[in-house]
Amino acid sequence: MTPEQQAFQAKKKAKAAARRNKEEEEAKLGMTSLMDIVSIIVIYLLKSYASDPVVINPTAGQKIPMSQADAGLSDGMPIFVTPQGVTFQDKKLVTLTPDGDIDPGMVENHLVGPLYDAMAEEVDKAKQMAENQNREWEGNLIVVGDQRLKFSTLVDIMYTAGRAEFSNYTFCVIRRSG
Amino acid sequence: MARKRKKNQEAEVEANLLPVMNIMFLLIPALLMAMEFASMAAINVSPPKFAAQANDKKVDKKEEKPLDLKVFIMEDGYRVSAQGQQEGADAGKEADSSRPTIPLANQSAPIDDYERYDYAALEAKAKEYKALFPHEVTVKLSAESNVPMQVLVGTMDALAGRTCKIGKTLKSGEQPPEDCYFWQPIVEAGAG
Repeated sequence: MTPEQQAFQAKKKAKAAARRNKEEEEAKLGMTSLMDIVSIIVIYLLKSYASDPVVINPTAGQKIPMSQADAGLSDGMPIFVTPQGVTFQDKKLVTLTPDGDIDPGMVENHLVGPLYDAMAEEVDKAKQMAENQNREWEGNLIVVGDQRLKFSTLVDIMYTAGRAEFSNYTFCVIRRSG
Repeated sequence: MARKRKKNQEAEVEANLLPVMNIMFLLIPALLMAMEFASMAAINVSPPKFAAQANDKKVDKKEEKPLDLKVFIMEDGYRVSAQGQQEGADAGKEADSSRPTIPLANQSAPIDDYERYDYAALEAKAKEYKALFPHEVTVKLSAESNVPMQVLVGTMDALAGRTCKIGKTLKSGEQPPEDCYFWQPIVEAGAG
């Protein structure tokens, strides 16, 4: 090793030693700008917070009818009716044919058997709960339908709900702006 | 002593924002879950009334014949009848199933074109009836089995008046606005 190389190595070692002895610099994250962004997002989300007593989450592929109606949704049990099937209390109870009719094996004289059983059970529970809370059970059913839903299918569902002692029906619609 | 005080004054106080940020970041998914992506509204649909209830009302109205407005949605238009008489039916006939009272606005449109019905003409008809029967608010609706729900809802809108804003009125119990005609639909099956 030449003297120049030795001198270079020594200098390199000295620099490394100096770096090691130097106190580690604390990395600081600029929080203020991040806080601004997050605050704006939170305020925006709070503004668009659903204030309805029932939160309706349409199922995939469901097209809820559009309307000029402006009345808000009142409390009630939602039933989701799509061209694929009928969902009540998170259970898909009835399947629809490709033509949009209720599976003929499930309906008899407009009464949809599996749906009636599930509704009657829920009505009993709701009535009991209302009785315990000393209030009257209102029997509200929120029909979350689909634009393509056939009238005959809708009537069968309403008839079945009526037999299960639901007395008030509400059609859930998307408010048309303008 | 004086030097020490000066030193204390100069010390920069930094707020620890991390806990606040943690809460904020937890709030974002929680609020996103409860966010209302589309503004939902409700149309209250009354179940069919029984004859006994209808008779009770007749006593109050000094034997005034009720309007009994019925709209039947067909694949080729609307059939409108009031007081048991279909509008546009041949003389001496209560109903005429061969043609609608209000034909389609667009005859050649397919059944899944929800705008093919003449909602404007139906609204005008509802306005006429409302002028004659200002206290009536109910209308009986029925349809052919293939009629889609969007058409039913569009028909309800037209009968209620497309500028009718009744949500606040219903809550406060005030008189409905003048541009609200028949805002209480009764859905019936097969009442053609």
